[in-house]
Amino acid sequence: MALTLTCPVCGKRNGYEFRYGGEDKGPKPDDFGSSPETWCDYVHMNRCVAGIQKEWWCHRDGCGVWFTTHRDTLKNLEME
Amino acid sequence: MFDRHKPLWGKPPALKQSYDAVIIGGGLHGLATAYFLARHQGMQNIAVIEKKYIGFGGAGRNTAIVRANQRTQQNVPLYKEALDLWPVLTKELDYNLMFFNCGNLNLLHSEAAMSAARMNIASAQFQGVESHLIDAKTCKEMMPALNIAEDITYPIFGAMFHPPGGIVRHDAVVWGLAKGAAKYGCHIHQHTEVTGINVENGKIVSVDTDQGKINTPRVLLTAGGYSAALSYHMLGIKLPISVLNIQAMVTQPLKPLLNHVISSGAYHAYANQTLKGEIATGAHMDAWPNYTTQTTAYYIRHQAQAITEMLPCLKGVKFMRHWSGLADMTPDMAPIMDGNHPIEGYYMNCGWGYFGFKSCTATGKYMAQFMATDECPEILKPFHLGRYAEHRLMGETAALVTYSPDN
Repeated sequence: MALTLTCPVCGKRNGYEFRYGGEDKGPKPDDFGSSPETWCDYVHMNRCVAGIQKEWWCHRDGCGVWFTTHRDTLKNLEME
Repeated sequence: MFDRHKPLWGKPPALKQSYDAVIIGGGLHGLATAYFLARHQGMQNIAVIEKKYIGFGGAGRNTAIVRANQRTQQNVPLYKEALDLWPVLTKELDYNLMFFNCGNLNLLHSEAAMSAARMNIASAQFQGVESHLIDAKTCKEMMPALNIAEDITYPIFGAMFHPPGGIVRHDAVVWGLAKGAAKYGCHIHQHTEVTGINVENGKIVSVDTDQGKINTPRVLLTAGGYSAALSYHMLGIKLPISVLNIQAMVTQPLKPLLNHVISSGAYHAYANQTLKGEIATGAHMDAWPNYTTQTTAYYIRHQAQAITEMLPCLKGVKFMRHWSGLADMTPDMAPIMDGNHPIEGYYMNCGWGYFGFKSCTATGKYMAQFMATDECPEILKPFHLGRYAEHRLMGETAALVTYSPDN
């Protein structure tokens, strides 16, 4: 599927070079004392926004950097 | 005959102000649940609300393959029952669903895959589902068009043969179930959008639609790929779902040559010959969420390469149509079926990924039972949403192929 993403190091590249890393869910819960529900929410649960969402990507077949970006899930286009 | 607009399921009824149950989503799971509620559970004052037209989503986009050779003890019985229900429903609905139990050949391309298949087969046989391991020579005897040469990308070592599986005409199922549900009084409202679900004191009270408000004590959310977004948008309930696009295509019609459904994890391809003679074939998914249902040339090339290595006689055959649909993938490749939690009267049936078609009959039956009695049937209990927080994920991910945004 046609997708172009902007790697902060390498610039605009073909989407197939990247690995999707999930929705941005904010900071990781505390390692100690967080409930199973908190972990479940962080690890598994998604908003599945039909529209613009902030998400993680890794430039797997490139420089390997992890970064966040905004993408419209209804159009499959990265926001400028 | 072409200028008549009255559909099989009767004239569109007027939207009532209240129903005993409202089903969001006029796909196969919604229609099947409506049918079983109306016909077998005696709850006939129900509405199916569909934003587009019935069968718009996954119901009309899947590759029509049915089988019951899943991996875990919780999943296999459900799919087995779904498979057993096709001939029963064909009779009950008095509508030809064109079930063709030609059997499935799941091709294996390594010793490791053969070993994994042995376990799958043992599980299937334990659950009373017919499944055998066969070698490459037997595959060739069963399907002369198959290429078992050793010089292809992934040579065929053998196959998992599942005789009771096959194909069903998916549009016929949509129309048959709609006709059956409407016959027992269920209202099917197409081109009606649910805009909100109202909860008071922890109980479902009504549903807002663009055609007006409906008072109801029960809501079933079964909107396929759109379920997770709707669940979060309307109720703030997050689900462990990623919505990916899966593409499929059909060739021009040919004489009969594929007498079984074939699938290959290594090639990421599966194919069957429809009763019209077209070779319907599906691919893997792009591993990032989106709702576009776009199709791309990448998969035409991918399918052409994969299919012609396995079936060289298809070289030069043209693809006629190509489409895409949404698959709501869960981390354990098993669905979420739950009810009355955390909201009384709220039921959900989603997360089917690309297994929604083959399971719709049994799910409809048991979700209807669940909604009519308020008691979760034993067979559905393992699929509750709480399993993710309990860290009791099901083992379907270790099946022969896994697609998710995590791999």
